[in-house]
Amino acid sequence: MPAWVGPVADYLAGGLRETALLALVSIAASLLVGILLGALLTLPGKPVRAVVRAYVEIWRGLPIIITLFLIFFVLPIIGVRVNTFIAAAIGLSLWGSANVAEVVRGAVQSVPRGQAEAAAALGFSWTGRMRHVLLPQAARRALPPLIGLVVNLTQQTSLAAVIGLVDILEASQRSIERLTLSGGSTHAVPILGAVLAVFFVICLPLTMLSRWYERRLH
Amino acid sequence: MPDDSGYHFDPAIIVDHLDDLGTGLLRTLAISAIGMAGALIVGALLGAMSTLRIPVARQLITVYVEVFRNTPLLVQIFFLYFALPETGLQLGGFTVGWLSLLLWGGAYNVENFRAGFEAVEGGYVEACRALGFPRLAAFRHVTLPIGARIALPSVTNILISVFKNSSFMIAISYPELTETAVNIVAVTFRVFEMFLAIGVVYLGLVWLMSLGARAIEGRFAIPGGH
Repeated sequence: MPAWVGPVADYLAGGLRETALLALVSIAASLLVGILLGALLTLPGKPVRAVVRAYVEIWRGLPIIITLFLIFFVLPIIGVRVNTFIAAAIGLSLWGSANVAEVVRGAVQSVPRGQAEAAAALGFSWTGRMRHVLLPQAARRALPPLIGLVVNLTQQTSLAAVIGLVDILEASQRSIERLTLSGGSTHAVPILGAVLAVFFVICLPLTMLSRWYERRLH
Repeated sequence: MPDDSGYHFDPAIIVDHLDDLGTGLLRTLAISAIGMAGALIVGALLGAMSTLRIPVARQLITVYVEVFRNTPLLVQIFFLYFALPETGLQLGGFTVGWLSLLLWGGAYNVENFRAGFEAVEGGYVEACRALGFPRLAAFRHVTLPIGARIALPSVTNILISVFKNSSFMIAISYPELTETAVNIVAVTFRVFEMFLAIGVVYLGLVWLMSLGARAIEGRFAIPGGH
């Protein structure tokens, strides 16, 4: 094995830790906020729904890069200082939660209307209907697209490199630059190939799980 | 918009750079249009080959789809731009722009079309075959028109994502709309105005494309559902 491989692998492993942490934080926040917003989207009240709808349309419609730049550059202007990790986590969570909300709304509305009506007739409040009747049934339908979103969010963490977080992609770029400066040979194919392989190994099982679960539903 | 940090909102900065932003937008639209058209054609063609179970081609298509769906687009762009030259293949920013979008969107659309084709009720194709249609003709006259309609909403969603993801080209400094805005910010420090302006442009175009997609879906809707 050539001498450059060891240090580069160590450096990439450090980047991978940042990537993994960012993915976990963003996935958790997206699910938490998204499920709440998705439930609110099925509320009969118009004003709440309009506000949530605007949130969903804006953060789903904007390219994630623009959202990351907005958070990273504009928050400091209004006096909020954030580091690259927090900025990336907020940006990814805005995008993720908006998408989760759409999936949850669709799944809740796919539960036959009689279910909610029956629960209401039995005296369940809105929160009771959601918790005990609608969300448990919607969860089965929402699971395959939600796993798809988890895969998507994991991949989108690589965008944090654009605002300077030393994730696995930024670590690979810096390694390539360093090797070029010191030896002249870039080794970009094996290094970027390794980054592709790492994401592939993480994402493929999740994609297969989502597809398997989707088939089982039908 | 004065506040405690002394930032003053100045929309004139957008007007001053309208030429540059316009050129950037044209580049965004160019790589998006080629990427979207390519992703549509690649998706339909490879999706059909996969559904028709053409040996060898089907396995190769599966490898293509899984590799591109399970790795980040940004890393794919880096690979095309920074790693391919090592193998002797040097591609410019424009080429990497549309090619990466085409390959990424194509992979998702193969899956979308394949799922659409496979959702067509088996009895239709059987009836068609019983009437003496060859396999390919049955696909062309029954599976394709019905399956493509079933696939349409997920296909248009990916095409809109292709447009939004053209902003990823900032990573290889190709001066499309986002990169142009960032370059202007680097000189003028007008962060808020610039990102607000291009944010509105992206949102407006995404909104227009969604309207167009809904209109097309309505036009091609299967009467009575499927």
